Parts: sequence; C-alpha cells; structure tokens
Amino acid sequence: MDRVMVLLMGFISIMIINNLVLTKFLGICPFLGVSGRLDMAFGMGCAVTFVVTLSGTLTWLIDHLILRPYGLQVMQYVSFILVIAGAVQLVEMYVRKFFPSLYESFGIFLPLITTNCAILGLCLFINLWDVDNLAEAVVLSVGAGLGFTLAICIMAGIRENLLLADVPTCLKGAPITLITAGLLTLAFMGFAGMVR
Amino acid sequence: MRKKVQYFLQESWLLLVATILFGAVLATLDAAWRPRIEQNEIDKFNRLAGAMLTDAVRFDMAAEGLPVTGDKGRIIATDIKKGLDAGGNPVGWAFIAEGPGFADRIRLVVAVDASFERLRGFGVLFSNETPGFGDKMKESEFRDQFVGVPATGLELSKTGDRSVIDNNIVAITGATVTSEAVVDVLNRFMARVRDQMKEKGLI
Amino acid sequence: MANASGVELSKTFTAGLWQENPVLRLLLGMCPTLAVTAAVKPALTMGFSVIFVLVCSNIVVSLMRNLLKSHLRILMFTLTIATFVTIADLFLKAYLPEMSETLGPYIPLIIVNCIIICRAEACASQNGLVVSIVDAVGMGLGFTITLCVLAGVRELLATGMFAGHAIMPRAFVPWAAMGLPVGAFITLGLILALVNQITKKQA
Repeated sequence: MDRVMVLLMGFISIMIINNLVLTKFLGICPFLGVSGRLDMAFGMGCAVTFVVTLSGTLTWLIDHLILRPYGLQVMQYVSFILVIAGAVQLVEMYVRKFFPSLYESFGIFLPLITTNCAILGLCLFINLWDVDNLAEAVVLSVGAGLGFTLAICIMAGIRENLLLADVPTCLKGAPITLITAGLLTLAFMGFAGMVR
Repeated sequence: MRKKVQYFLQESWLLLVATILFGAVLATLDAAWRPRIEQNEIDKFNRLAGAMLTDAVRFDMAAEGLPVTGDKGRIIATDIKKGLDAGGNPVGWAFIAEGPGFADRIRLVVAVDASFERLRGFGVLFSNETPGFGDKMKESEFRDQFVGVPATGLELSKTGDRSVIDNNIVAITGATVTSEAVVDVLNRFMARVRDQMKEKGLI
Repeated sequence: MANASGVELSKTFTAGLWQENPVLRLLLGMCPTLAVTAAVKPALTMGFSVIFVLVCSNIVVSLMRNLLKSHLRILMFTLTIATFVTIADLFLKAYLPEMSETLGPYIPLIIVNCIIICRAEACASQNGLVVSIVDAVGMGLGFTITLCVLAGVRELLATGMFAGHAIMPRAFVPWAAMGLPVGAFITLGLILALVNQITKKQA
C-alpha cells in the first residue's frame, strides 16, 4: 500500500506540481504551435503521452540494464535520442496503418514529436532523480505525458477564446500565448509544496 | 538473404561508419576528462566541508556507502569523510545528506565535530527552492544558527531568536516548508549516521 | 556548389542575427531560452555551447551531404548532434562545473533544440562548407544575443545584478517573480511583441 501511495504521489507531482511545460520549460515549441485548436491539442497530447511512456520506459531499461553496468554512461544522450527517434517512427507507422485519417490530420507534427524537448527532458529527469524501479519510471512517464496534455488543452481552450478578444496586432500569435502561459505558470505555482 | 544484407549495408554504411567513429571519439574524450570531472566533485565537497571544519587540511574517507533510510523509504548511501588537521588529528566528520525540499531535492554537506556531539554547520550542494524565500536557506542568516547546535533532535519554530544556539531553529519567514525540509534532512541523517558510526566504532 | 560571394556570405550571416533570428523570428529553440535566462552567465554558457554544436554539426553534415541517403538523413543529423552535445556536456562538466550544475539537464536538451536540426536540414545539407559555417555562426550568435538580452532584463529585475555585479541602487526592491517561470514567459512574450512592432513598422 505504501508503494502505491509513493507512486500516486509521484504521478500527481509530475502531472500537476512539477508540470513539465509550465515549471520546467519543456515542450514549449509544440505548446505554442499546436495549441490553436482543442481537438488538435488533445490529439497531440495523446500522441506525446504514448511516445513519452514508451521512451521513458525503454530509456530507463537501457540505462539500468546496459549503460550503467558496463560503464557506458557517456553514450547516454546518444542512445536516449535514438530510442526516442525509434519510438516516434514506430508510432508513426502504427498510426499510418491503423488510423489513416488521423495520420492525415497530423501531417508534419508526428515526426516533429522527436524534437519535443519534453520527451528527452523526461528521460533525462528520470535519470537525474535516480529513479530506481521500473514502476516509478513508467508512472512518471505517463504522468508527464498527461501533464503535457493537460497544459496544452488548457492553453488551447484559452486561445480559442482569445480569438474573440481584441488583441493588439503586435501581441497576436506567439506573444499573447507566452504571456498567457506565464499566467498559467503562476496559477500552477499554487500547487507547489502539495506533495513532498 | 545475401541480397538483403547487401542492400542493408548499401543503404546504411554511412550510419554504421559514423556510429563507430563517433563512439570512438566519445570514448576517448570520456577517458580523458573523466578523472577531472570526478575531481571536480571531490573538490566541491572539500570546499564546502572545509568552510565549516576550518582547521581541516584534508578529508579522508572514513566509511563508504553508509545506508540511510531517506524519504519514501528509499535507501540512500552516503560516504562519511573524516576531516584531519595538519597533525593528522580528527577535527570532525562531513557527509552528504539529501531529502525532498519544497520544489526539488535538497543536497547538503553536513559537518559535525569529532565526537559527533555538535553540528558544525551545513553547506548547500544542490537546491532549487523559490528565489527570495526558500532560497534564503543558502544565506548565512539562516545557516549560522546551526553552528554549534546539538547533533540530535533539532526543532523548528516560526519565531524566536536566531542568535541563541540551541536545538530550536527559527524558520525563514514565508518559507516554512523549506526550513522544515532542512531540519528534517539534518535530523534524519545525523541520527542514522551517528548510530551506524557508533556500531562501526568510529566514535 | 559554386563558391558563394562575400556579399552573399555576409547576408547569410546577418540573417541569423536579425531577419531570421532563430528565437525572435523563427520561434525555434524556445525551451532553453526560457529555462536558462534567469541569469546572464548561464545564458552566455548556453549560447556558446549552442554555437559550438551548431558549427560542428553544420561542418560534419555539409561534408557528408553528398553521401546521405534521404530516408536516413534525420537519423544521421540526430546522431551527429547528439555526439557534439555530449562533447560539450563533458567539457562543461570538466572545466566549468558550476555552470554545468546550473544548466543541469538543459545542455543535453540542445540535442532536440529545433534550431540545430533545422539548420542542418535547411542549410548544411544543401550548401558548401563555408556557407554552412557562416550560417551556423550567424544563427548561433543571434541566439546567444537574444538569450543575453532576455537574461539581462530578468537578472537585473530579479536580483538587481548583471552577470553577478550589482548594478541597481540599494533602494531597488528585487522583483523575484522575474526569476521564476512566470517572469520568463512574460518577458519573452513582451520582447516578441516589441520585435513584431519594430518589424511591422519597417515593412
């Protein structure tokens, strides 16, 4: 029961309190780019969640089963990014085969998930935080993906309403999105210290 | 089968060559710089510990990988270093303690006197606390009140006199969680380390 | 590829600084821009690391541009960039350990920095060595200057210091929020708005 509590706390911590987008500045590029519409944002969020869960688990396994025992830690970044690129390729092939209409609507964004800082960032954070069991790595990965989805959907909702507001021309697009994101971070800061 | 292998090699020979080349470069640089990187870690520890154990000229390893039950029930292994003065006499002990803070983990270098009766202070190796609030734990105003306190049972209170050296620690205004975290980490590690060092006959 | 003339080279160079500034106009590489600009020194370190990785990866990609197979090229770019980022990371850990600690995981995140892979794809894989190098230096400098401007504003307002030297008068009350994520987002948003306003007036 204790283990489950620890995992649950870790899950809530990374999804809300240490939200990757709003507190660690990861995944900003798709956050700005894809958050225009709620359905696209949700789709992107789901794809990222899937990829990040896969990558987080695989990179943890590779790090603990291959790199650390043989002292190959210098190859960490190279192997991590190759695993992520492979995972994205896998997801792309799967989506193209089984959900062709979804694949069409995604367009360029699916392969772009490889350069999403959030995925490599999460793999690196799992390494930095010395996560020592697989269950925690999986839970953190899923939580991170869901946190990203949460942030991007909130932003999409706000942006859809911003279209109706009278935004000054120089602020239209990226600037107002960034300022809104800043206010969102302020709101999410209220969660800090909830779980230690 | 042969044709498949041939096709495979034809398409990816550049990738394979590049992988081997880059791997060799990385391995060489790693071998060249690894000793320096490790020395940097040791230097940082010595610098922080030396700031508190001022008469120590060098630090020797006294006990390696002492297990301490940290937060979430996880076992953290910490090395105990003995600070020796110019004559080779022990002036104190230093070790790394860590635990969860408000925002991220906190890693401290803790220095205690030779008999493990009193704390000589702590230095911050790593923290990511809120600037202007929890970050004040790095400042001497907060840290000085730990110098000379008994090495057991520290208690936190929100108000009080920082200049009185006893086991009562006054929290940082507006940063109760961080102050609590520091006191927690110190209590937990000092208790466990002292017990194990007594078992090993070091004190 | 014919040798580019001096005028074209200087145009490529200045494009990276202003018209096609990677952060302000192309909106690439936002993650490190927001993350490391709390102070000027980490921003400078990040900027120079990115210049190093950009130049090296552009050189390598440009040298092997005729050997690349189209469907493996992204993998090759990624491998090259990852290798040079590992080199930069090892170098920082060995020779600038405090900066390495401050920057933390954001140095390896240079691998997925869109700027580098976009320049490799858009410029280095199609142009000669000299053009690629000039493009890399221009983009890298544009990125570094933007980072320093943002960091300068944030550090000045958050701590009253610039690169560790106190600038603001004693009466200045530090605006701690500038050191937090909210300050990063809002400052960058306002700078982008300013740039939009300036370029619209020029257009």
